[in-house]
Amino acid sequence: MQNPRSEKLEFLQKWMEGMGKCTSLKKNMSLLERKKAIKVSADLAMASTRTESKCWSRALIANIASRDHNSKVLTEHVIGSSQCLRLRKAFTSSSFSQLKNKRMLNRTRKIMKRRRRTVRSRVKKVVMADSIARRLVQKRTEMLKRLVPGGDLMDDDVSLIEETLDYIQSLRSQVQAMRCLLATSQLMNCS
Amino acid sequence: MEQTTGGFTGFNLSAAGERDQATLESIQFNEEIERIIAPAPENISSFTALLGLPPAQAKEILHSPNCDGVTAAAFPTYGEQPLCHINDQKPHILHSSSGTSTLPSNSALIERVAKFSVFAEENSPPEEPNLAPLSPGANLNRVKHEPPETDSNPKPTPVIPSNPSIEHKNERAAKRKEREKKDKESSKKSKSVVDETSGDRDKLPYVHVRARRGQATDSHSLAERARREKINARMKLLQELVPASPQISGTALVLDEIINHVQSLQRQVEFLSMKLAAVNPRIDLDLDSILATEGASRADCNFPDMVTPPVWQEVLVNGNRQQYQHQWQFDAFNQPIWGREEENRNFMTPESSLLSYDSLANSAPLHSNHLEMEL
Repeated sequence: MQNPRSEKLEFLQKWMEGMGKCTSLKKNMSLLERKKAIKVSADLAMASTRTESKCWSRALIANIASRDHNSKVLTEHVIGSSQCLRLRKAFTSSSFSQLKNKRMLNRTRKIMKRRRRTVRSRVKKVVMADSIARRLVQKRTEMLKRLVPGGDLMDDDVSLIEETLDYIQSLRSQVQAMRCLLATSQLMNCS
Repeated sequence: MEQTTGGFTGFNLSAAGERDQATLESIQFNEEIERIIAPAPENISSFTALLGLPPAQAKEILHSPNCDGVTAAAFPTYGEQPLCHINDQKPHILHSSSGTSTLPSNSALIERVAKFSVFAEENSPPEEPNLAPLSPGANLNRVKHEPPETDSNPKPTPVIPSNPSIEHKNERAAKRKEREKKDKESSKKSKSVVDETSGDRDKLPYVHVRARRGQATDSHSLAERARREKINARMKLLQELVPASPQISGTALVLDEIINHVQSLQRQVEFLSMKLAAVNPRIDLDLDSILATEGASRADCNFPDMVTPPVWQEVLVNGNRQQYQHQWQFDAFNQPIWGREEENRNFMTPESSLLSYDSLANSAPLHSNHLEMEL
């Protein structure tokens, strides 16, 4: 387990780098643009501390890089262009579209199953608690998959849970860092 | 784990509101489920009946010897088990193992059981057809197992700390199954009752699972059980991480909590970035300028752990009031939810817990509505 303090410092550094790059890209940003820049840089910094070990960080970076040209430039600056290239190869449009097709296929299959089930349930009106429980759990895993970046790429529950664990930890440290920075900047501004 | 303890203080307070919402929701769930299950018959042959009974009675019923009414298919994919079952298994097995003095590694087995006991009941009849495909090996093994149990009992010990070679795994699994079946057949005369533990997962790189009495022992269900155990272990970890959920049992509710937590964290990130953008007219505030100011030294020290908020609070209360007026002037948009949350954040007194509780409680209903719509 890496030293949490050094991790946080690294996160701060990368975040500052990202924000510096944003200002160099465009001066005099509006409130919303600033907010978006802050958030994106923070996400990138957070993901960069975990790139090698976890899937969600790679998926997050790939998502950000594919949004628009500015984001792509920013990610390359923060992450390092070589790593960025590697990630883009891993999540290239072709393989990603394959994954997307697979996702769509899974969704259509689920819809078809749901339709068949509703037809059958009219025939026998037996309500089983086990199927209710299973359905509840399934719905929740789907939701979790949507929340965690890169979640729907994972088919087995074990890795999904591990990814969630890691993601929650990173989010927490991110929120802590932001709060701290906010406190300091407020202090600075008023004094 | 100082960062997490620091985080906990903040999050316990903020999650209190969500917790109330979630418990309300879970109460509604429970009522719904009970309403659905109430007309179901009271016999033990369906999982639905178990759900309808209070947990103590369910425990009793599941522990009774004729548990074969409860089918494996009745259990959901995650293997929902209330945590009380794990504690109950331990005395059950301790009691039965004290009767057999011939098992050499009693304490080790019991420890493992206490760590990894899985309560998944399956039908015993499937054992019989399983004997058929394994019969060619069975005869050989039976000859070996003719001698009394003192001979067979040392055998488990060399099996358990075995070397991780996957090609031998199936062979050993088959031999083990045979041995267990032979043991079970002989044990009907009340010989060794406890041979069954679940395997050790942490020490060995691959899975060693032994079948419990009254359970199927084909490789599929073993693998399935191992997988379920892994998932349950991870879920327990997650439960510890998410605040306010050690008393919740049941996969769906735990997942609920986790989802709530992740969503609240993401929303917090959004909100904090908005606030940061509002506070600084330009965002390239670098570490040097922060380090240069006097207050920054305090910030750096406090940074790893947010355990000393009282130092900040008085200062911030004074600073924020002024800041607050500035913000309202150059805020380009006044969405009500942002406004409410900002208002709450500015008063960082001991009541800050209550106020942040408020702001998150306001956003929690959105989530609960969303869930209800889905269901």
